[in-house]
Amino acid sequence: MGLAKLVLRRLALGVLTLFLVSLVVFAATQALPGDAAHAILGKSATPERLSALREQLGLDRSKTSQYLSWLRGAAVGDFGTSLAQGTTVTSLLGFRLKNSAVLVLLAALISVPLSLLIGAWSAYRRDGPFDVAHSLVSLSLASLPEFVIGILLIMLFSTQMFHIFPAISRIPSGSSAWNQPQRLVLPILALVLSVQPYISRILRASMIDVLESDYVQMARLKGLKEWTVVARHALPNGLAPTIQATAISIAWLAGGVVVIEYLFAYPGIGSLYVDAVGSRDLPVVQAITLIIAALYVGLNLAADVITILISPRLRTGLQ
Amino acid sequence: MDDQQREISTDTDRGFQGRYSRRQALKGAAALGATVGLGSLLTACGSSSDTSSSASPSTGTPKKGGDLLVGVATGSAKDTLDAQMSINEPDIARQFELYESLVGHDRNYQIVNLLAEELTPSPDAQVWTVRLKQGLEFHDGKTVTADDVVFSFQRILNPKNPKAGAEQLQGLKPSGIRKIDDRTVEFALERPNAVFDVGLAYYQNTVIPIGYDPKKPVGTGAFKFTSWRPGLDSDFARFDNYWGQVANVDTVKTIEFPDDTARVNALLSGDVHMISNLPGAQITVVQADSSFRVLNSPSGGWIPFTMRVDIPPFSDLRVRQAMRLIVDRPQMLSLALNGQGRIGNDMYAREDPVYASDLPQRVQDIEQAKSLLAQAGQSDLTVELPTSSDYVGFPESAQVIREQAKLAGVTINVRKLDSGTYWDGYLKFPFAQDFWYTREYLPQCAAGSLPEAPYNECHWSDPEWVSLVEEAFRTVDVDKRKELCHAAQVIEYERGGYIIWSFNNQVDAHSTQVQGVYEDKSGIPLMSWHFNTVSLG
Repeated sequence: MGLAKLVLRRLALGVLTLFLVSLVVFAATQALPGDAAHAILGKSATPERLSALREQLGLDRSKTSQYLSWLRGAAVGDFGTSLAQGTTVTSLLGFRLKNSAVLVLLAALISVPLSLLIGAWSAYRRDGPFDVAHSLVSLSLASLPEFVIGILLIMLFSTQMFHIFPAISRIPSGSSAWNQPQRLVLPILALVLSVQPYISRILRASMIDVLESDYVQMARLKGLKEWTVVARHALPNGLAPTIQATAISIAWLAGGVVVIEYLFAYPGIGSLYVDAVGSRDLPVVQAITLIIAALYVGLNLAADVITILISPRLRTGLQ
Repeated sequence: MDDQQREISTDTDRGFQGRYSRRQALKGAAALGATVGLGSLLTACGSSSDTSSSASPSTGTPKKGGDLLVGVATGSAKDTLDAQMSINEPDIARQFELYESLVGHDRNYQIVNLLAEELTPSPDAQVWTVRLKQGLEFHDGKTVTADDVVFSFQRILNPKNPKAGAEQLQGLKPSGIRKIDDRTVEFALERPNAVFDVGLAYYQNTVIPIGYDPKKPVGTGAFKFTSWRPGLDSDFARFDNYWGQVANVDTVKTIEFPDDTARVNALLSGDVHMISNLPGAQITVVQADSSFRVLNSPSGGWIPFTMRVDIPPFSDLRVRQAMRLIVDRPQMLSLALNGQGRIGNDMYAREDPVYASDLPQRVQDIEQAKSLLAQAGQSDLTVELPTSSDYVGFPESAQVIREQAKLAGVTINVRKLDSGTYWDGYLKFPFAQDFWYTREYLPQCAAGSLPEAPYNECHWSDPEWVSLVEEAFRTVDVDKRKELCHAAQVIEYERGGYIIWSFNNQVDAHSTQVQGVYEDKSGIPLMSWHFNTVSLG
């Protein structure tokens, strides 16, 4: 079937993309001044300590052999050992990846249906009070960077006005993010508020187009119930561009957590990423970059497949 | 003995009785003068005789139990638990909690015995003998013996991989460490070192058991290891068999916050009890809230500008002096550090009794600076100043000196670098910044000014100065040594490569729930991370 072939081809291209990303990241980290040994020793980097540490970390090998040995491991799922910690990258990522996934998933699960609802309702009641209010609020939120939203939330709910939620979201050792719901509220709210306006505004725009189209007029003239007109005829077509935007937004969330995690001191891959770049901890930087890149590739593919499946024209075109 | 009594006697023991006579003679005068600089804002609950000033009613016996939560600045996955190789602030915090040296510094930066019962130099200060206290225990129950001390110092001095405190042990080679009996070790130096005790007191030179494994850290400190997540937090528990004052709290958890805002927010929202390094701009915010206190400790810590004396433009003495005359120190202190500190006079080691406080305070003199620059043919001098946000006051003071230099026609291009890049180059940049905690004069020379010093950032090697300092190291007579150190400081004051514009206060903060905190002159945050006196009310 056509769809399966398309998915397979895109997956193969995805693997190629990841390989290229790893090459670029390796080259970029090599271009940074200083290496992991320097970053680890900081102020106390004397020549003896540097050479002892470089030998220990294997940084005295040639660049090509460093990359190739990393690539050989990565090909079989072994992302190597963190230069900064000496533990495996997998164990370093473990609980952090879980924590970040919790954050991104919950933010996506809340923001996507919420934005669809708000966007569709705004389009349906176009220029009504709800739509005007929505335009105003979403435009202001969309123009604020996520860290500003985060700081405003902290001031409002944690330190200056109320003391409802904790200002920091450090998950204690031995506990998982699920057991600390009150610590998730503000970071998730910050993420939701930064992506929701984007998705709902796109849906609103495309729904307005669809609601004015001939086939919706036709459906109405046939005397179909309003609910059927909107849910069966307008929404599926209006969703198509929104699905692409949603996929990009969720992928953006995976990148946006970097800033939000740092702000709330949340132990996820984002804060580890910032740290690893500073430490020139190449294996960790590579692993996290590949995770985020894979997420982009996967979400884009998923968005394409879903768009094809829900759009009648594209669906029939494939067969 | 109740807790209060025990605490006072411990403090006395650590402060005075335990000190050997030569050191006592040297520091006697200083100890008299070294009462705390500012009146303490804080309740030093049930605390020692010398620094307590009870602003709120003392509760007598400190409350036992509780989990102390401490917010620490910086923190990274590259952190370490190594007892002798700490680098970042959280590393140093863990080091003070878990491990101890033979001797150490008290809150007034006086040397006190820790694991040592007695430290005796030979008359020529070439052989130093240390006798351990009786019945000292490691966290795993093993007794601390001379073998452990020998092992610890051989590890520090490992020529292939020297640990952070190696350069402080001037004159000691691994072969000079000898066990005399189970509790006695002899350090036979290659050359006399009259201040070897200060090197032993350096916090990186800790004593660890034979076969020490940083992955399963065992030490003698007031807290023992429970768990650790690099870059996130560490959990330690009270060590009940501690030789000194056993901690009041059950556990101490240090939580790492690379972001200043997050750290302050954590305190304000009640997530932690104490935080280190309160940013200057937040001092008034914290002071305004009656449930928090600022712990402001004057210290001998300094944040110099470093000028390389071996390459142009600063190889010309006139240019160096012009730069020193450009700086308006009171203004820089007030703008860059919110006034939290004391102005400097281009010499370090403010807390050492040998500090040359008699030299006239250097003040801004733009006319003189201009004329010196003109003589040197550098009237339109342009220099680059790399900086990073690694330390409180770094980028701020860089901005201030840029503005002040404009008055004399000097262009300073401030270039902000990320941490890795900055420390990769700071010993090579012609013009840069650094930070140092409190240190005595000669040990500071060994770390940063002697030609073979590992951090000789000014590339300083003035022959006259070097011979004075080397002689001072050999000189046992306190007064004679002080004279030599004074002469050396005059040289640095007249032609050195440092611009030392302040001695910064260490500013931390805590909630009023926390009792038993005190000011500490070391420049190391939160009472040098000693939490055994702290209780949670």
